[in-house]
Amino acid sequence: MLFSYNWLQDYVKERLPKPKELEDLLLLHAFEVEGYEKRGKDWIFDIAVLPNRLPDAGNHRGMAREIAAIGRLSYQEPKRKPVKAQKGSIKPISFSIAAQSLAPRYTAFVIEGVSVKPSPRWLKERIEAVGGNSINTIVDLANYVMQETGQPMHAFDYDQIQGNQMRVRMARNGENLVLLDDKKIALPEGALVIQDAKRLIDLAGIMGGKNSAIGEPTKNIVLQAATFDQAAIYIGKTKLGIQTQAAQLYASGLDPNAALPALERAAELLSGLGGGKVVQIIDWYPRKTLPAKIALEVSYVHSLLGEKIPETQIRSALLRIDCKVRSRLQKKHTLVVEAPTKRRDLLTPEDCIEEIGRLFGYENIKPKFPSSPLMPPAQNSELPWREHVRDILVAAGLVETYNYSFTDKRAPEVFGYDAGQRRELLELENPLSEEYFYLRPNLAENLLRNVARLERTEQDIRLFEIGKAYWQSENRPQEQWRVAGVLAPGSFHEVKGIVELLCERLGITECWFDDFQQTPLRSGKSLWNMQRSAECKLGNTRIGFVGEISRALSVSLKMRQNVAAFSLNLEAFVAAATAERTYRPPSRFPASVRDIALLVPRGTKVADVLNVMEARGGQLVRDIDVFDIYEGERVHGGMKNLAFHIVYQSEDRTLTSKEIDALHDRIIKALEENPEWEVRK
Amino acid sequence: MPISELKKQALAVFSGAKNLAELDSAYHLYLGRKGKLTLLLRSLRELPETSRREKGKEANDLHDFLEQQFSKRKQELQKEEFTQSEKAERIDVTAPGKRIALGRLHPLTRVQRAAIRIFGSMGFGVAEGPHIEAEWYNFDALNIPANHPARDMWDTFWLKDSKNSRLLLRTHTSPVQIRYMESHQPPFRIIAPGRVFRYEATDAKHSFDLHQLEGLMVGRDVSVAHFKAVIQKFYELFFAKSMTIRLRPSYFPFVEPGFEVDMSCVICGGTGKKAKNTPCSSCGHTGWLEMMGAGMVHPNVFKAAGYNPREWQGFAFGMGVERLAMMKFGVPDIRLFFEGDLQFIRQF
Repeated sequence: MLFSYNWLQDYVKERLPKPKELEDLLLLHAFEVEGYEKRGKDWIFDIAVLPNRLPDAGNHRGMAREIAAIGRLSYQEPKRKPVKAQKGSIKPISFSIAAQSLAPRYTAFVIEGVSVKPSPRWLKERIEAVGGNSINTIVDLANYVMQETGQPMHAFDYDQIQGNQMRVRMARNGENLVLLDDKKIALPEGALVIQDAKRLIDLAGIMGGKNSAIGEPTKNIVLQAATFDQAAIYIGKTKLGIQTQAAQLYASGLDPNAALPALERAAELLSGLGGGKVVQIIDWYPRKTLPAKIALEVSYVHSLLGEKIPETQIRSALLRIDCKVRSRLQKKHTLVVEAPTKRRDLLTPEDCIEEIGRLFGYENIKPKFPSSPLMPPAQNSELPWREHVRDILVAAGLVETYNYSFTDKRAPEVFGYDAGQRRELLELENPLSEEYFYLRPNLAENLLRNVARLERTEQDIRLFEIGKAYWQSENRPQEQWRVAGVLAPGSFHEVKGIVELLCERLGITECWFDDFQQTPLRSGKSLWNMQRSAECKLGNTRIGFVGEISRALSVSLKMRQNVAAFSLNLEAFVAAATAERTYRPPSRFPASVRDIALLVPRGTKVADVLNVMEARGGQLVRDIDVFDIYEGERVHGGMKNLAFHIVYQSEDRTLTSKEIDALHDRIIKALEENPEWEVRK
Repeated sequence: MPISELKKQALAVFSGAKNLAELDSAYHLYLGRKGKLTLLLRSLRELPETSRREKGKEANDLHDFLEQQFSKRKQELQKEEFTQSEKAERIDVTAPGKRIALGRLHPLTRVQRAAIRIFGSMGFGVAEGPHIEAEWYNFDALNIPANHPARDMWDTFWLKDSKNSRLLLRTHTSPVQIRYMESHQPPFRIIAPGRVFRYEATDAKHSFDLHQLEGLMVGRDVSVAHFKAVIQKFYELFFAKSMTIRLRPSYFPFVEPGFEVDMSCVICGGTGKKAKNTPCSSCGHTGWLEMMGAGMVHPNVFKAAGYNPREWQGFAFGMGVERLAMMKFGVPDIRLFFEGDLQFIRQF
């Protein structure tokens, strides 16, 4: 908001601090100064008046008062000059309001015999200094008083008001109005309007109507200074997207007691602007706003600020911002603070303490560490596990990324969503752009997009992300912590290895991998290459997918390499994780390794073979490694060759080779019980 | 040739060998299949038993002795040879080392961990809350009523046709304050790191998807002075240098008093000037950096959470995690954190 340094000076008896000093003073005790610059003999300050201070400090008198309070200067303002209506020759306006809640106060002067002409230089300069356009004496006068006192004003051409009637009411659906700026608007429900006997003439509190605007022929005016309902103006201006200074002021909540003095000030100024006679005073003010009385305990001031500010300084701070301060007789060290009604933000003890704190200066409050029982804080149960997962993946050579929580409008098409997945997408009422259109339903898609971008410059891409995915089920939005990773180039077994490593480090034993299940909903177009992917399961629950990316998708994302990924429900993982480990003594006796090569039909699962070997091998088989899986020219059609190392070891003795041979033979026999399997010797 | 002569000769030849090849031929000469000692040993077979036993022992002893001497000499020569060849194997130490591909943590993870650790050392626990929030938690409970200009301070993403109540993406981590207080009794101190969302255009300083770190301490006498001490210490530990902070009046509906917290500029140390008196661009040569909004918890917030505001007081703050990271690492553009650029992430 723009302020003229010279204008502010009008209300301060002493010289104002120099611009730079003024900036620092305001910055530390009241408002941020966005900037200031010299214009002619004046300095124009751009001050970010805080939203709750707009009603009292968003004008020159209020800002001057603020500066005086901070700088301990003397504020002065011209005395009120009460106005009495004189006998006039025009008919009085009959004013009404549809509901009391629409405006706490409505005040207006009907003024006869004004002359509308270009404004004199002093007025023009002030209007322009604060960023306005000078229009004519009457419009400029209304604007000037608003800049001076913070009370928005509006002037109607009296002779355009049909039937001498003005009525404040809510707009009805389908009503239109042409505004001062020639724009025709459809009025939203809930906006405040003023109508005459026949038509709408004003979008109350926001902008005047074209049909009742002041022009050169205007002779008589209705000069309005109202206090419209704060919320109604806010709704109207938000729905219409109109940001006039008046609307902003009304929406922030004005002091109804300021309306009449502002009109009196306007009447006073009018005498120097070609004159005019006040012939009617409309003042609808059913319930007078009284000053708030706040009981303030000095001990609370000390406790909340953490600094023992002497009571005299507390009083002085409050007096400087125009509060009245009394001591409560029956209770020592309790003040009764009466806040002026223009300070709509001063209602509670805490509000007063803020004023005391900032005027005393926060820099004068000495930092003090709190003392409290030496009890450790409650531990968050999930976060440390998520951090552990990050560390494991980093140790496995993956680089952590953070992607946006959104995905683009074309994602369902690009990633081949089926009907179910499309239904689950969470949409925004106001997406930022088509690129960030839906909330991301998983983390893998954005990682694949990263790969597609990185492939041009990077050789071996290994990425992961831990974050939330979002979707809806049964019309309720869901969010879930997930972990996903990609390897490019990568294979199913590599990503499976990473997931197995995670399980091992998290102490999860019930994790297994199942064939990708085709369901009617999963129509076949998908992110995953179904022949080379698995469902990752904890017990019977699917918690995600592991595998290679469908080649069709690689083509549409322009990825050149074979890409593998995993995408898991991290919450389920964390719930199953355990830090408990049971010590098992390492065997001091030697281990022996024997190999087995086995020809099996291609469809045979390694897990089935392992089960047979483990079941027969028993306690003395400590480990079985698959070291080769071969399908190709060297084995005949439809078969594949599996090769295993079997590690034999006992915990309490050295095994003889006879013993081992016998056990190994038993395992071979067990495998040969399956007629389709052939142990190669 | 008498055995003693043979011994003398062999020892001379062994020690005279200048390299392993010469030693090898010396070996063959005496101990090889057709070596002098081998031949001598073989010729003993023809001697009569008595002298064979005596001579035989002598020759066998010599054989063992020469084998020993040969090994000894061989070791010597090998050492010499290795020393020689090592001289020739001198490597270029300036050539780059062979790198192992390490994984990396994202800088935002590092910053959040550091913050959790520092606040943890001052007794702050960690709390979290949902990203999709009810209007109540994000606004009303935080003393930001509907149809009030205060709402304009947060540009909000709204969810499409959310059925019962209006749902949004939380615009700050402050809803965690309410959720935590609903289920916990004071005194306590927590921080709440996490993602927040703002409906606004992105540029170098703004993002629509970013991270905040909320703090809340509630007790019988928690004060502005306490806040100053805790926050100043946090910045000191985080930036590992001495820091000053200052509070400026500000307005956030959920605190009263409310302030903006500035920290002395990490680049120029608060002078506003860099070397040779040039203005510091990081702080706009003011010497101060705006770091966060904070204040004393508003009584209406305590009420909304079900506390009696006459019994409790506390401070709350919310700082931008990206901003911390940008200051810590000198990152000029917030968007870099979200672009999945390996060249960027690998630097940390």
